[in-house]
Amino acid sequence: MRTKHGIVASAGRVGLAAIFSLFGSVAPFAHHSFSTEYDGTKTFNIKGTVSKVEWTNPHARFYVDTTDENGKMVTWNMELASPSALARNGWTSRTLKVGDQVTVTGYAAKVAQYRGDARSVITADGRSLFGGASDDGRPDGGQGQ
Amino acid sequence: MLRLIKSQIPNPKVQIPMVVLGIWVLGFGVFAHAQEGRGSLGTVGALGQEVKRPPVRTEPAPRLPDGTVSLDGLWVGGGPVNDIAQGLPKGEKLPLLPAAVKLMEYRAQHETDDPHLWCMPMGVPRSTPYPFRFVQDITGSAASPHLFIIHEGNIHSFRQIFMDGRKHPAELDPTWFGHSIGRWENKDTLVIDTVGFNDKFWFDRKGTPHSDQLHTIERWTRPNMGTLVNTVTIEDPTYYSKPFTVTFNARLQAPGDEIMEYICQENNQYGQAGGHENPFFGK
Repeated sequence: MRTKHGIVASAGRVGLAAIFSLFGSVAPFAHHSFSTEYDGTKTFNIKGTVSKVEWTNPHARFYVDTTDENGKMVTWNMELASPSALARNGWTSRTLKVGDQVTVTGYAAKVAQYRGDARSVITADGRSLFGGASDDGRPDGGQGQ
Repeated sequence: MLRLIKSQIPNPKVQIPMVVLGIWVLGFGVFAHAQEGRGSLGTVGALGQEVKRPPVRTEPAPRLPDGTVSLDGLWVGGGPVNDIAQGLPKGEKLPLLPAAVKLMEYRAQHETDDPHLWCMPMGVPRSTPYPFRFVQDITGSAASPHLFIIHEGNIHSFRQIFMDGRKHPAELDPTWFGHSIGRWENKDTLVIDTVGFNDKFWFDRKGTPHSDQLHTIERWTRPNMGTLVNTVTIEDPTYYSKPFTVTFNARLQAPGDEIMEYICQENNQYGQAGGHENPFFGK
């Protein structure tokens, strides 16, 4: 791990991934092409405060206020799966709330700054939630169906 | 379905004995690599990530009072998502004409032009990763004059299939789902004949094309409680040298699951992360 904010390739999580990957396939729901929007080699791991939650289609989103490497406040736009996919995977519209402290791991946008495809969201109470966004074509899982 | 539960691994307060950890890594590492091995993050240890599906229900399919098989249920699948050629019999290839090859080459370089990405309907026989429901048993028998297929995604949409014996109109305004007439064969197979399509949707994410000359004949069967089989014959002389047939299965969803609202246009930010403009806006 390099820093607590910004883009990091988390060796620890890769190790954990190897452990957990034996448990089977990932959530099958997807809508939009992952590879056209996100870089499967550009990962991030940030900590911050949820400032907004959008329980909307085609993707739910939440926004995380955090600081960048220079200490400047920035807001990340985090993409999740659709509400219907998330709901079938255990989420509700109240799972994340404004003010929650979260740690988010995922893939960064190909072009836009501070946009991410959230893979795991770890809440302050220790729950690890699967973001399940844009599975199609993503480098680590989804089959699109 | 898995429910959100406390994660044991990412929470530093919870310690996993290293011996157990070691056994997992050593014992399953190779399998895990083969299973995933697809990216820099792999799975992320989020315990909502894996969906454990129950086995397919293999008891006989239900029947309506008149003996016709009931297709009612909430299903996922039944059509192509990534590549329609995956539904061909083994060893066969799509009978693409040169015009189709050329168009697919273009679309391969313009994959963000797929209308589906911009919240347009998926047409026929394309499917989505989201459920659909057959609404068949309107009057308690197969004599219902209409049959509907209701799709949750890509956008809340429906197909209406006329079951009253009418023919296709001589002239049709082209539409995303076309004009569908249906009939039963031996109370086991629903045959849906559809024409009048527009040429806008793609058969799959790969961009496999069709024209407004498209004619589809779907044959839906339910070999057991948990499975629908959709065998589709596709004719389109503009892009294919001969008709071809693809088969896709759909799987019955768990009891209690229902169609959910899916209004794709509500907050579609597609393109912003990757820097793509909507190819349909203002055109």
